[in-house]
Amino acid sequence: MLRREAVMTWLVVLAGFFGAWSLMAATLPVPAYFLPPPTAVVSAFGELVRKGILPTYVAESLRRILTAAVLGLVVGVPAGLLLGMSRRVADFFYPLLNFFQSVSGIAWLPLFLVWFGFSERTILVAVNYTLLFPVIFNAMLGVRSVPPLYVNALRTLGASRWRIVRDVVLPGALPSIATGLRLGLAYGWRALIAAEMLVGANGLGFMIFSAQSFHLTARIMLGMSLIGGLWLVLDYFLLRPLEEATIARWGLIQR
Amino acid sequence: MKAGARGALPFAVLIAVWWLVTRLGFVQPIFLPPPGDVIRVATELASDGSLWIDIAASLGRVFLGIVAGVPLAVGLGVLVALNRRLAPVVEPIVGFFNALSGIAWLPLAITWFGLGWTSVTFIMFNTIFFLVFFNTLVGVRAVPRIFEQAVLTMGGSRRDVIWEVLIPGALPSVVTGIRMSIGFGWRALIAAEMIATSTGLGFLIYNGANFLQSDTILVGIIVIGVLWLLTDRLLLRPLERRTIERWGLVSIT
Repeated sequence: MLRREAVMTWLVVLAGFFGAWSLMAATLPVPAYFLPPPTAVVSAFGELVRKGILPTYVAESLRRILTAAVLGLVVGVPAGLLLGMSRRVADFFYPLLNFFQSVSGIAWLPLFLVWFGFSERTILVAVNYTLLFPVIFNAMLGVRSVPPLYVNALRTLGASRWRIVRDVVLPGALPSIATGLRLGLAYGWRALIAAEMLVGANGLGFMIFSAQSFHLTARIMLGMSLIGGLWLVLDYFLLRPLEEATIARWGLIQR
Repeated sequence: MKAGARGALPFAVLIAVWWLVTRLGFVQPIFLPPPGDVIRVATELASDGSLWIDIAASLGRVFLGIVAGVPLAVGLGVLVALNRRLAPVVEPIVGFFNALSGIAWLPLAITWFGLGWTSVTFIMFNTIFFLVFFNTLVGVRAVPRIFEQAVLTMGGSRRDVIWEVLIPGALPSVVTGIRMSIGFGWRALIAAEMIATSTGLGFLIYNGANFLQSDTILVGIIVIGVLWLLTDRLLLRPLERRTIERWGLVSIT
């Protein structure tokens, strides 16, 4: 009963949204390229898929962000864990990492342009930079947040250093690591779009930016919905479950 | 005092390494100028006033985005959240726009408003609006109904419920939203300024890249980082902490 009501509300709201959009596109006294109707977006989708442009661009953008994500996992997490192992080292790196995390990769982009020119490498460095710092920073904080009591308890029981890392430090840091990955990917995805706009020769950011010069507004809107949609898919099906699972499974209960 | 000194030490080490690397000629000054050059350019830019204009332009856009975006987003968020049928449907839609907000709107903004001031400020506004809207909606919906019913039972009106229960209950979520959205918005703003305008810190550094002025770029990067850290430390984080302490819901067990 409730389900049907919810579906009805959904239908009404969606119909209202697309109806209002179509109506505004048809009646507003602005040039057609200001607000193309939803149908134009759909046909732009069909056209770009047929030409094979869209699959390539989506694949390029995804490849870049996933490369950065893997690098974050393989390099960022261990680096953060290592830095967090010693309180002194962590104290030393905390302000540095915090600073570099606050300067987004996009602000470094001009410097990367001087270093690497308008190239693929500039995009990758900017995205990796943006993603890596929150990951390292949060992994480090995660290790530091493990109460020393647990470490001492294991040590008293005669556990080796490796056992302590495996059974206490790593599980204790996991929720923070998951948060860092999610934050890093959120910033990284946006930095990727911006970098593709400024540097790119392909990718979704380049697609919406170049479409602007030709007033292909339907193409911009299509790109925007894909950028938002892809992120939601990534967030809902991968990052959020990961975060929730780690917190539910390994989250430290205070007190 | 001691904490300050400990915080400064890592930066001193970093600058020393930077100085050494450039001094020993490992990298060409065009790629990484020595710290001295950066300080010189910073004082030049500060004394001819252009740095202050760029800082004022960027901060002004942030301010406008907050002033226009926050009240609108909180108002709409509360209104939508009050409707128990509408709210669960609107939530994922706002979530979608939230995921999309920021730099991805720039091409559309340029189409609508042209290159310049309006487009860039729109990016800032947009980022703040959708995130705060989303967090208000989620915040109001997360207030346990028992508080609402308690007020109603004691003879409170719907107005009392909104002002005394729902809005205070949602405040921690709203303030977290404001803090996060300014973080996302600040990054998006810098990117937008590179593309669509000729003032602001984003323009300063992008223009520096056009003339291969690494020193100017580094001045801009440092200013961007320091400004964000100061805003976050001195303004946003204390605000968030205080709101959560004052109005955060203590879980009832």
